[in-house]
Amino acid sequence: MDSNKKSQKQAKIIVGVILGVWGFITFIPFLWMIASSFKTNAEISQIVPSLFPKHPTLDNFKELFFKLNFSVYLKNTLVITAFSFVGLFLNAMAGYGFAKYNFKGKEKIFLLVLATMMIPGQVTMIPVYLLLNMVGLTNTLTGIVLPGLVGAFGIFLFRQFMSTISNEIIEAARLDGASEWYIFTRIILPISRPVLAVQGILTFIGGWNSFIWPLIIANDEKFYTLSVGLQLLQGQHGTNYALQMSGATFMVVPIIIIFLCLQKYILDGFNVSGLK
Amino acid sequence: MKKQALWLVILTLVLSTFIAGCSSKNTDSSSSKSKEITFWFMGDGDKQIKPIVDNFTKETGIKVKIQSIPWGSAHDKLLTAVASKSGPDVVQMGTTYMSEFVDAGVLMDLTDDVKKNETIKPENFFSGSVNTTKFDDKFYAVPWYTETRALYYRTDLLNQVGYDHAPKTWDELYDASLKLSKRGEGKYGFNVDGGEPTFGFMFARQNGSKLFDDKGNPQFNKKPYVDSLKYLEKFIKTGAAPDHDLKLDISVGFGGEGIVPMFISGPWMINAIKDNAPDIEGKWATAELPKGPENNISNTGGSNLAIFNTSKNKDNALKLIEFLAKPENQLAFFKSSSSLPTSQKAWEDTTFTSDPFISTFGKQLKSSEPMPLMKEWDQITQAYLKEWEQIYSAGKDVQKSMDDLNAQTKSILGK
Amino acid sequence: MMKKQGILAPFLFIFPALTLLLLFSIIPIIVALIISFTDLSLAGLADWSRVHFIGWNNYKSVLTDTVFAKAIGNTLFYVIIGVPLVVAFSLAIAIMINFGRSAFFKLIRLVFYTPSITNTVAIAVVWSYLYNPSIGLFNFILAKFHMGPVPWLQDPTMAKISLIILAVWKAIGINMIIFLAALQGIPKEYYEAAEIDGANRWKQITKITIPLMSFSIFFVSVTTLIGWFQFFEEPLVMTKGGPLDGTTSVALFIYRNGFQYSKFGYAAAGSFILFISIIIVTAIQFKIQNRHEKQGV
Repeated sequence: MDSNKKSQKQAKIIVGVILGVWGFITFIPFLWMIASSFKTNAEISQIVPSLFPKHPTLDNFKELFFKLNFSVYLKNTLVITAFSFVGLFLNAMAGYGFAKYNFKGKEKIFLLVLATMMIPGQVTMIPVYLLLNMVGLTNTLTGIVLPGLVGAFGIFLFRQFMSTISNEIIEAARLDGASEWYIFTRIILPISRPVLAVQGILTFIGGWNSFIWPLIIANDEKFYTLSVGLQLLQGQHGTNYALQMSGATFMVVPIIIIFLCLQKYILDGFNVSGLK
Repeated sequence: MKKQALWLVILTLVLSTFIAGCSSKNTDSSSSKSKEITFWFMGDGDKQIKPIVDNFTKETGIKVKIQSIPWGSAHDKLLTAVASKSGPDVVQMGTTYMSEFVDAGVLMDLTDDVKKNETIKPENFFSGSVNTTKFDDKFYAVPWYTETRALYYRTDLLNQVGYDHAPKTWDELYDASLKLSKRGEGKYGFNVDGGEPTFGFMFARQNGSKLFDDKGNPQFNKKPYVDSLKYLEKFIKTGAAPDHDLKLDISVGFGGEGIVPMFISGPWMINAIKDNAPDIEGKWATAELPKGPENNISNTGGSNLAIFNTSKNKDNALKLIEFLAKPENQLAFFKSSSSLPTSQKAWEDTTFTSDPFISTFGKQLKSSEPMPLMKEWDQITQAYLKEWEQIYSAGKDVQKSMDDLNAQTKSILGK
Repeated sequence: MMKKQGILAPFLFIFPALTLLLLFSIIPIIVALIISFTDLSLAGLADWSRVHFIGWNNYKSVLTDTVFAKAIGNTLFYVIIGVPLVVAFSLAIAIMINFGRSAFFKLIRLVFYTPSITNTVAIAVVWSYLYNPSIGLFNFILAKFHMGPVPWLQDPTMAKISLIILAVWKAIGINMIIFLAALQGIPKEYYEAAEIDGANRWKQITKITIPLMSFSIFFVSVTTLIGWFQFFEEPLVMTKGGPLDGTTSVALFIYRNGFQYSKFGYAAAGSFILFISIIIVTAIQFKIQNRHEKQGV
């Protein structure tokens, strides 16, 4: 046991070093982005690269806030993100349906669901747009949110994770007279917290970065999101790199904060057997 | 009596606003919209165009809803507008989009309005710009802003190789470039832009190529065209120009030691150089393009203003276009966005005449033409870029390449 | 086994999601299928009477298009190299991160995750700089070791590899957290029992962790494969498909024809060829998985 503990500690150190080095390499581009957001455009394009800004400036951020219709874009982005969590719930329901029930044509229907992932989004964009236009949903928040509400990726993810939940738990609850809905909301969802967290993060990122639908559907700037706003800053010719960098940095920070909060509660030391 | 009259006035005012408020709420959106026109603008509208449009509203009482659209997604957004037949009233149309959207029949024919209106009649604008609005002798738009390409060069470095002026001819351009490239390893004279889809066509025109004959057949494998590419190829073969895209920022490529001390580009580079290469202030200039065997015709682009066919507010839309076409407003737009006026009169302002960098472009505009206006043009330029890439990076024979390009173009055009 | 309420229940669970998918994915796909047999262009969008059915012509010309053939070759290159790298790297990193509980490991987790949450435009700008042939950081570092310069985006083959590096870098984060979530589901008792039996870490990983994670490995493999078959954003923002079409993927080919040239019928035909290839590959994956599951039981 003792030698085992020792070797375990050794292993931990080796793994830590590998992760540290690998992580640092992964982080370089990101670091450069953040550092650049405090540089002037001229400094970014110097021939001898400098990582840290020589004369740090907040001008980029100031310009960003000044130029962007900031409060409007932020509000829309938050609303869209919030709505997309409804989709998360629908995905979870469908995933559960495919994971824990047997019904006729299940495999075929599931393959049909997966098939929706297999065609490039640009090909279906115009048909979807025409459909929304037909039912009068263009230029509405509903029209922006609806097409991306559910997705095969999420359904598939939930199906995979929920299929590992043991059938006995469900059967036992059924014997106790619990309804199917009760089983899903009170037993399955709590057990699925890790995957809910994963899908939650993905949903948040998707909503936060949503770009093409808000632009296509909106005939009014009041529906624009932060991503659209950032794109507006890009001119026809040439790019202000510094401004782009600060914009990107600005959009990433909230996600990192959310991620920090979420992972503390959900991805840490969660143990299925800890549930009664 | 006086007091009573005052109350009466107040009462009527309150009542009328109340009724007006109600009626605009009760009627459907189409009639309330009739007081407001929509305007799609590419880029950041709040800063660049809103102040000007606000003046329009002040002057005419017509409200304008501006929607800014990112450049990168402009085409997508226009496509969906066409598909749903719900475009804006006034739309900014890139000159290269014109043929496609005119062919689709989504832009209003403005021929009669343009001809009888003093402000927007074609004679007011540069002919190169007017040509982008005219299809089969009908006018579908009004020129708004333009751009053209001119030569940027480092006066100090050219002086060192014995040029106290910008190269005036193809021969001088090549001679100066070659001399500049002899400054040392990794130094060049000129940039033959391999990523610029109009580059070869522009030089071909200067060599007398008509690009297409009267029947619309491509002339890319004919002598004038092939020779112009051979001229460009010579730069790369002798090292007078880099054989790959250096991807240098302007501050490094043009500023400092001047790795590439001459290049051809549009007016937007003026500010880029001023901002990013302050070290070479006073050591650079712009000049009209060097003359080829036939002429020095440059390539013009920019944007026009058009009205969507679905617009129910043609009169008001036209008023906005007219307003934006006025020299003083084009001047204001230049100040907010650095976009060059299409109105010839606007160029008489001291803003342009006193600035040597900009005035070069004004002169060049008199010798500028748009690229051929056909909806397949984008595809043809892509084919050209690939063939040109084959020439300079894989050493493909120029004549062979152009035979291929000609054949591809014929198949793209369905000939 | 299923009780009476089980007959209707599954449909109630999948109904909302399925309805939305039907409306916003399946019906549009069918519309796109119809479009693939027409000559729809911008003019056709504006005026339906200018749309004509042209049978299999789009398919015939796509299949003889040399650029399309090149795009297929490139896409296979991306898929064959990229997919195994993504699955292997994200699994390895997830397992390594799961080793520790300290703040360091938490930080590392976040570090690996950052690329996936960064705006594409910013990624393009940063990586264009890293790969820049003249002033790029990579060649700058290589020069310090008297190596290079490497033509990162200038040589057709190297450019493909460069894009793969970028895409793998970007894809690790999402798949890593999926694996981490799966790792959370493995009861600690399994490891404790194995430790008592004297199994070392490596054995524990190969005999307990990986088999118990097969469901998530399957998920990541399938979705990554589907994703990489549609490899698109990276070549679009980094190389626009060049040099010499060396990085053009099938999805980029479709985008270019559809949105740049407005040849919607042609683009749709190309995408259905892609669609069918992906379905076949995915179906094979499911077959293999089913066989494994049956053997396992």
